[in-house]
Amino acid sequence: MDLDLDLDDPRDRSPLQQMLDLALMAAYAGGQVLRTLWRLMGAEALGSSTEAEMEECRPSRRHPQRKSQKEHHYNHQGGEGDYLRYDEILLAKMRNNNDKKHQYPRLVTVVCGFPKNFAMYPRYVRGKFGEDAWFHSSSPQADTLGVADGVGGWRSYGIDPGEFSDFLMRSCHRLATNRNYDARRLDWLLSRAYLDLLEQKCPVLGSSTVCLLSLNRENSTVYTANIGDSGFLAVRSGRILCRSLEQQHQFNTPYQLSSPPPNLGGQFLIDSPDSADFQEFKTRPGDVLLLATDGVYDNLPLELILEVLSEMAGVEDQMVLQMTANSLALMARTLSTNPLYDSPFSRKARKMNVESSGGKRDDITVLLASVI
Amino acid sequence: MSLLAYGDSSDTEPDALVDFTAMLRQRQRQFGCGNKAQAEQADDQGYYLEQYVLGVLDFSSQYGIDYSISYTAANVIGRPTKYPAYGDYPETFTMRTYGDWWKRAPSATREIQAQNLPKLATQDYIVVYFEEFVVPTEVVIYETFNPGAVVRIWAYGMTKHWTCLWEAESETDSDLARPPADSRRFAPPLNNTAVITKTLRIDFNHSRLNYYTEIDAIMLCGRTVSRIKSLLGKQQRQQLKKPEFVSLPVAIPLTPKAESSLESSPISGGGPISYKLRSLKFQPKCRPDGATKLHEFINNDLSQFLMENRVEGGEQQQPAVVPSICLTDLPFEILLRILSYLDLKSLFRVGQVSRIFYDISSHPLLYAELSLKPYWHLASSTLLCTLALRATMLRKLDLSWCGGLGNISPTEFKKFLTQRGDNLTHLRLNSCKFLNSSCIETVGIVCDNLIELSLRNCATDPPLLNFSCLANLKNLERLDLFQTAFEPELLLSMLEGNRKLKHLNLAFCGVSVNMDNVAAHLATYNTQLISLDLWKAHFLSARGLLSLARLHQLEELDLGWCLREASLGDGLFQLLSNCPKLKKLFLSAVRGTTERDLMHIAALGKSLEQLDLMGILNITHERVYDILVHCPKLQLLDLSFCDNIMDRDFDVLADWSRHFNVDIKSSRVYVPR
Repeated sequence: MDLDLDLDDPRDRSPLQQMLDLALMAAYAGGQVLRTLWRLMGAEALGSSTEAEMEECRPSRRHPQRKSQKEHHYNHQGGEGDYLRYDEILLAKMRNNNDKKHQYPRLVTVVCGFPKNFAMYPRYVRGKFGEDAWFHSSSPQADTLGVADGVGGWRSYGIDPGEFSDFLMRSCHRLATNRNYDARRLDWLLSRAYLDLLEQKCPVLGSSTVCLLSLNRENSTVYTANIGDSGFLAVRSGRILCRSLEQQHQFNTPYQLSSPPPNLGGQFLIDSPDSADFQEFKTRPGDVLLLATDGVYDNLPLELILEVLSEMAGVEDQMVLQMTANSLALMARTLSTNPLYDSPFSRKARKMNVESSGGKRDDITVLLASVI
Repeated sequence: MSLLAYGDSSDTEPDALVDFTAMLRQRQRQFGCGNKAQAEQADDQGYYLEQYVLGVLDFSSQYGIDYSISYTAANVIGRPTKYPAYGDYPETFTMRTYGDWWKRAPSATREIQAQNLPKLATQDYIVVYFEEFVVPTEVVIYETFNPGAVVRIWAYGMTKHWTCLWEAESETDSDLARPPADSRRFAPPLNNTAVITKTLRIDFNHSRLNYYTEIDAIMLCGRTVSRIKSLLGKQQRQQLKKPEFVSLPVAIPLTPKAESSLESSPISGGGPISYKLRSLKFQPKCRPDGATKLHEFINNDLSQFLMENRVEGGEQQQPAVVPSICLTDLPFEILLRILSYLDLKSLFRVGQVSRIFYDISSHPLLYAELSLKPYWHLASSTLLCTLALRATMLRKLDLSWCGGLGNISPTEFKKFLTQRGDNLTHLRLNSCKFLNSSCIETVGIVCDNLIELSLRNCATDPPLLNFSCLANLKNLERLDLFQTAFEPELLLSMLEGNRKLKHLNLAFCGVSVNMDNVAAHLATYNTQLISLDLWKAHFLSARGLLSLARLHQLEELDLGWCLREASLGDGLFQLLSNCPKLKKLFLSAVRGTTERDLMHIAALGKSLEQLDLMGILNITHERVYDILVHCPKLQLLDLSFCDNIMDRDFDVLADWSRHFNVDIKSSRVYVPR
């Protein structure tokens, strides 16, 4: 296998790449079929076969996460599917015990995504899709999700752009699992995570856009923080309830948290965590939340996303949700490599008088959550 | 986050995110009605429990800054995150110092009443608490970097006493059995105690370590106690029966017989002990070096000495030999001199021997310097009262680490200070959790002759030091505000008032302090400054560095993690050329340091002894070689996390280290995952 092959050119593909594309297409179609079947036959009928199908859905080089209890030992193990965590089971039990009282909402969260260049990131690492990174943490008080998209331009300075976003997300995860974490203060979470990044002995260089979202169970309010062009989308009964604002300095140059190398300092964009856009809104069961990087929003038309998301209202089953996330990610992935597709990104680019056509090749991360 | 795993129940899946509190309660209830519980109640054993740290109560120092989650004490909470891996991980608890480099620096201080210190003195500590009370059977400390710093483990029982669960052997032993450079699960054999505890204190001595030690997690294993109250009552009754000083946690090698003889000796007519002392040809060697260590004799040999003489006394009712000289015949001054070598505990014990010894041992001159730091576990308001009676000539006072869990009341401390504080020259109140603002006010009003004031790690919210009365102090030569928040205006006025200031420590000071202003003040008013520690004091810029360059007497400067901006400008050159005496220069993670700056260091740092360049990216080994060649006095060079020094250079560095006789630290670059 020649790893040095230029995968950026769709016409010059290796057989492996073509096979992968085929597999992805098949998986996508399979997902569609499954979804239809699911709707027709109800949840019980499919049972265990879903799991087998699910595994096929993914590229084989990833470790599929089974629903086994074993994997709850460690946080950073398993595949991209973020299945029901043990604490959620616990929470569900607790709710069953005293369901007369408060029915606090919670999130069922799943993840799917693809790196832009499989050759560069051949090994699947939980929490990373290429230069994108994500985290999800859940406590009895709150659910917190986040995505970060490392700015790819750092590669020309010899800096791995994925490092920064990954570190930021891991810091967020550690902070969000801290005992005195307050889900209502995402500004606190974001600035702490950023400051922590500056406290590393081995400097973490690069920059990244970030989008954080937390559901505070007690007052059933969703809090969000966004810097740059990743973003969230909250959908209620087929309509957009709330969405993030895209923050850009200029076209394709989003706001970004950054830590530039010292010898090049001064000529880079450094946006402070304070410049983030903070929002909050009340939520209720049946809402669907999508947290994704620009690889998704730049390739999938909003109408399509809305259509898919509105079907997910009130879905409690992790499997169904996972399949939807897979379809979304796969659709974005397939469209991003299509040179003939008139993507939202190229439309936007043309509006800004920038020559562009086809899909936007980028890392793709989809975090899909349904409020129940 | 509570993390409890059951040793006997395998069906429980522990997850780092799970709060098991509720489950545990349920489980206890289940036990309460099951057969198992009845069996357990019979022998009052409870069940076996392994638990990780729930929270940190106190610590003396940490590497990271408090708002961070890197290298901070809070990282010991929960199960190990890194444990089997070995390396420098930010997810662990790291202390501020290692080795003896800080002792060798110009800012080093002398311990007050140094004879109090045990052989393996505690340098740092951390106090952690757990979820459930247990009778500890095992304490496990997960060390992931440079293990071997733990010297003592204490448990705080339900009876509100600290008990030493384990103590490291003396220094020579630990040197022989120095742990290899690998992560380890350190579970020392514990003393057999029945103390019921959920609070542990781990003492560290890292003077022998090569680099920073890192602690990942602490686990407390033991049996829970189902009927705590009854057991507690039993323990208290037992404790009441014992004589007071035997219940003190530090083991005193007095045999029971010796104790009883001490206790039963009547004071009337000199008593058998003083009689026997007189009957002996006991001639202590009073060499001025004090190497005879009278307190060692009293600790170790006195009991044997007494026993032997009791036997002798039994055999020969009338002493045949009339002693030519006895201890009490010595001149008072010499006796005083002898007793001045005793540590505080022995001093109190000597006072029990006889009336004469009591008089000598309570002489105010013996209490001119007082340090309760090694006796932090015994310090209480009553002890302060007793000492207030004796220490009428108090000059130096060290109450560091005392009064941690409410043993000393602020009122009592203020009373003590008002009575005895007016002549104080040195006052150290490091990590004193009882301090409140009115205590500080008292210090400012009463102790106006202070030369040294040390308030390390006294951070509270709102800041303790917001009272202008501290500005009364005009003679300060050393001010230590390590990890203590203060009002910037107060500091500036204090700097203005204390022109003779020689040592200043502002490490970890809060983000509200504009260090450039402080630096400008220092350069204007405190030109005699010798050492300055600005570790992790953000908001020092190149402008501040230029002001600092005007302090010509500077011998030590710690700028670790300061100067976050891109370039240092001309500051470092100015500093090095204006301060020829500079012995210690820490530039840890001053990322803006350029090749030119390093050339200046090589050219101008003639008297440099310690140089820290940790985390500076652009260091080439040519520059390192330059520095090694041109700085003849260099002893320590920290090049950890310097990216450019690649793996192949590590052998070269080791060669240089031998050749130039410089300790070169070069932790390998931490690669995540």
